[in-house]
Order: sequence, then C-alpha cells, then structure tokens
Amino acid sequence: MGMKSQSESRMGSGDPASPSRRRRLDRQSKAVVWRRSLIVVGLSIGLSIVDPAARADPADEPPAVSSLRLISLNPSLTAIVIRLGARESLVGVDEYSAELIEEVRDLPQVGGLFDPSLESVLALRPDRVLLVAGIDQQSHGERLERLGIDVEVFENERLEQVLENIERLGSMLEREAAAAERIAAILAMRIAVAEAAADRARPATLAVVDRSPLFLVAGDTFIDEMLEAVGANNLARSLGAGYPRGSIEWVIGAKPELLLDMTPGGEDGLAFWGRWPSLPAVSSGRVLTLDASRISLPGPELDRALRELAVAVHGTAMDRKIGRRLDAQTPSSSGSSRVSRP
Amino acid sequence: MFLVLGSMSISLVLITVFALATGPSGVGMSEVIDLLLSGKGDAAVRDIVLGVRLPRVILGVLVGAALASAGAVFQALLRNPLADPYVLGVSGGAALAGISMLALASQFGLSTAAVPLAAFAGGLFATALLYWVSGGRGRSSPTGLLLTGVVFNSFASAAIIFVASLAGFFDGSRIFLWLIGHLSAVEIDAVGLVVASVVIGLTIAGLLARSLNLLVLGDESAAQLGVSVDSHRRWLLVGTSLMVGGAVAVSGLIGFVGLIVPHSLRLVIGSDHRLLIPAAALTGAGFLVLCDTLARTALDGRELPVGAVTAIVGGPLFIFLLRRAQSRGPLG
Repeated sequence: MGMKSQSESRMGSGDPASPSRRRRLDRQSKAVVWRRSLIVVGLSIGLSIVDPAARADPADEPPAVSSLRLISLNPSLTAIVIRLGARESLVGVDEYSAELIEEVRDLPQVGGLFDPSLESVLALRPDRVLLVAGIDQQSHGERLERLGIDVEVFENERLEQVLENIERLGSMLEREAAAAERIAAILAMRIAVAEAAADRARPATLAVVDRSPLFLVAGDTFIDEMLEAVGANNLARSLGAGYPRGSIEWVIGAKPELLLDMTPGGEDGLAFWGRWPSLPAVSSGRVLTLDASRISLPGPELDRALRELAVAVHGTAMDRKIGRRLDAQTPSSSGSSRVSRP
Repeated sequence: MFLVLGSMSISLVLITVFALATGPSGVGMSEVIDLLLSGKGDAAVRDIVLGVRLPRVILGVLVGAALASAGAVFQALLRNPLADPYVLGVSGGAALAGISMLALASQFGLSTAAVPLAAFAGGLFATALLYWVSGGRGRSSPTGLLLTGVVFNSFASAAIIFVASLAGFFDGSRIFLWLIGHLSAVEIDAVGLVVASVVIGLTIAGLLARSLNLLVLGDESAAQLGVSVDSHRRWLLVGTSLMVGGAVAVSGLIGFVGLIVPHSLRLVIGSDHRLLIPAAALTGAGFLVLCDTLARTALDGRELPVGAVTAIVGGPLFIFLLRRAQSRGPLG
C-alpha cells in the first residue's frame, strides 16, 4: 500500500486532476483481484496485438527527448508504449509482452507477469518500472521501490483507466500528441458505435473469456463497458463485478441470444456450445468466436476493439454505419472531447 | 447384506434424482420428474437436466465410487486406518503423470486420450513407492506411511506447478482446478477408458474382498487360510491404481472421500470387506454427488470446485481419526 500512495503522490505532482483520479483509483482497486484472470486470458494468445495497419501509422513526432530507460511488466502497458512510438525507451519487458507483441520480442525479458525476477530488473538499470497493480505485482513493486527503483503503478480494469494510462504514458514519454490522438480515437469510436447502434435491438449477450473452466465477463470491467457502448445487454452483470467463474447451467438458464466466445485458442465456439441446443444463441447460430487478443487486452487499440464488437453484435452492415458516424464527427469535437466526456 | 446394499442402492438413486432436480437455474423436481418419466419438457429444461446435470452426476458417481472403494482397499492392504488415495499421495502421483501427459499432448498437438493411461501409471508408481516404503508387507508404522504420503504429495504438487509453468501459463486456472478437484469437465476425451478403469478396478476389489478380510489378519494367517497372498495383493494394488488413475484423470485431486466413506461405514456395518467394498462404492458415489450438488448451488450462478467441499468436511474428520488411531490400534 505504501507504494501505491507514493505513486499517487508522484502522479499528483503537476497533475491538477489528481484528487478525483485518486478517488477513482481507490474505488476501483477493489476489483484488482479479478484482473488476474482477465490478464491471463487476455494474454494467452500468441498473436501480435498490434495490427499491421495500425503499426504503419508512425506518430509523426520527433524521437523521444527523454532518455528514460523503462521496463514494462504488463503487455497492455507495453502495447501503449509501442503504439506511442517510444519503443526505444524500453530496455526490458515481461515474458508475456514478448509473447504478444512482436516489436519487443528481442528485448531482454525479466520473467512472467506473476513471477518477475527482481535481479533481472535490477541488472537492466531501469530509470522506471511500469506495472499494473495486481496482487503479485503490487508486492513486487514494493520490493523494487525499497531497492530504490522508481516504480509507476497503473490500473487497467476500466475503460477510463486505460485512457488515463495512455495519457500518463504520453506525458512520461513526451508523446503527448500521439497519446491525445489515441484517446480521441477511442472516445470518438465509443460515441460512433453508440450512435450507430442506437436504433438496434439490444441482444441478451454473454461474453465468455474462457469456456473450460468457464469464466464470464461481468460488470465493472472495460469489456462490459464496451459491450454497453455497442448496445449489447450483458446478462452476466447480475453475477457481480469482474470475471466470475460461471456455471454452464446458469448460462443455459439465462437464455443468451448472443454468445461471444473469446476462449484463447478456442477455434470453433459453436462446436462447444452446440451441445446445448436450447441456447437461443445456438439455435439462431449467433455463437461468435472472437480473437481475445483483439478485444480483451486493455491497450491502445480499444477503438478497434469497439468497432469489432459492434460488428460482432449487430452484423457487418454496422461497419459502414460506424464509418459514416466517424466521418460526421467534426475533428475539433473529437479532438477535445477528453475534457468534456461523461 | 442384500438388505444393506439394497437400501444403499435406493438411497443412491434418490440422491441422483435430487441432484438432477437441484441447480442454480431453478429447474426443479416437477420438471425433472416429467422429463424422466414422460420425456416431455422444454428444450432448456432438457439441456439443463440431461446436458449439464446428468453428465456431472454420472461423473460424481464414478469418481466417488472409485475413490471410496480404493480407500477401503488401501486401509485393509496397508493395515492402516488413515490410508486414502489422496492422503497417501496416490492421487498426487496420478495427477502429476496425467498433467505431464496433458502438457505433452498440448505441446505436440496429440490426442488427450492417453491422459487416463498416464494417470494410471502415475498412480501405480506412487502405490509401488508406498508399498516399498512400508517394507512390502504393510508393517511400517501408520505415521511412517502418512509421512511418505505427505512428502510425496508436496513433491507431486510442486512438480505439477513446475510442469504447468513449462507448458505455458495460460492453463493456470485449469491447473488450479486439477489441484483442488472438480467435476465440471465438459469435454472429456476417452470417457470410455475412464468408465472401464473404474469398472475393472471395482470388479477386482469386489472379487478379492474375501482375501482382503484375511490379509488384514496378517500374511501368514492369510496364506494358511489358502490366500495366494502375493498375487492377490498385486491384483488389488493394480486394480486400485487403475480406479484412482481413471478418477483423477477426469476430476483432479478430490480429497478425503476415500477416508470419510469407508470409516463411517466401518462404524455402521463392520469390517467385512465383502460388504464394505460395494457399500463404500455406493456410499462414496452418493456422498460425492451430494457434495457436488452443494458446490454447484452454494454460490448462486457461480461454482465451487467440489474438492473444496470434500476437503472442508474431510480435513477435521482426518484429525479426529488420527487422534483415535493413536489411542487405539490399527483399524480400531
């Protein structure tokens, strides 16, 4: 906990919005327990999370002035650093960042998400270590701080927090413009998908992060917020917050019209769920197998995730509709909506 | 004897129906009876009862029967009242081998049908190790055997975690379920192998129940009374390992069933293994199905692994029995 308050006070310096942010962080740290299962699920696909089109769009900024030596211990943070065009600041990453993100595959690895090696971190002489305040990483961060290493703690449970992470990393890496572009794009997409889906029926939906053992997306998660934005009615909210272990029987009783299956490496969702033909989603063929790495990594590409979710929920016609909505948004309104967003 | 087994069978049927009629979705007794008797019922009820609850109940019956009768056999063979496949580390050995096979299979894209076979081999190895430690004649002190089991169990758990980290961390929650024991497996490869291993193991134990009665008296007495001591013991060990391997391959490390059930039965019906073995199978099946029903329904819409339930019931009972065993003799 000591580390947390330190990091918050550090964060607070030069940040006028910090009191409200601190309150938010406190409120949301209760959900930390659930992050672990999500991270495990979100990371478990060995695919690159940065798609080629996005990568081909380099932030047209000068090379980072800051010569920070950073170690990222979480793929969602690594992905943000890369997307902001600050690859050269990274001197080391955790194993799962390396597994997921092609650009950092040749960097020194300092261990897993839950078992990083202190010694390897120290050996790389980082100026700052970035981590997400999961249970394990929290104590790891405290030990690093005791050894005199600057630790920056992030939260990525909610959409809002992911946007904050992009903003914080943007100012840390002196990539404010690139960060603002990402944040604006995600916010603009959230508005566009909501507008495009406004006149559509809200299908009763369940999102599955793993089918065996069964884990569902419940409330107070960024995936739930994205489902809400695209007009899907997430039935698992009644199970509480986070990513609870559900029972198949409950799923059948809930009668979902749409099943979004993000099981890592799970090829054909319908083959699995088809054994219970009474599921409305099965009888109407609306069991969709989604690529977890594109949806459930709380990284810099949540605009893409929102768009893909909207298409999954409402069909391909939605894609063009979203495009029109995006075009209709004036550049100025989407660029400055960060301040005025709800 | 037939009266006892008959009433136990009827209880098992009643427990099964109760388990089929209980669950988080509120599909209850009347719908289930309608469905079972007339085959009528809407599609969701059919899916819930026949597609979700029934496979689980069947799994509970198989695993419970295997673990409880294996416990009864171990207690007699090792002349140790605290013997149980879980406490002795036999389940741990089976789980370690099963997980290693699972890791190999997923690494090389092989079928997982070999998992029960590997679990059987692991269980057999652990049994052989125990037997060797006990001096081959079941004469070592109860404490010595238990210590071996405890040490082997921690070794097996550590090795399981090691294998799991080698195989890729994403199976973390699955490994957790294996370690605590569960009946929620939906996709079971080689279910036939598992059924076969449990049936064969139960048959061997049932056929050799009379020898078990005599082996408890000591090898010399048993041999004098016409028991072919070594071969019968070998068959019993292989049969038990087979059952435990099959059970562990589908359900992981469910603890204490093999301890609680035979012990309670000995108090009620005595120690004649011709009765005790089938009775343990029936009661173990019913006990595990009941525990799993609790695990399915205790948290609304969420699930507990059944191993957590059996361990919470079994742990205190084990301590109680350990105290009693220290003040009385073996199989007291």
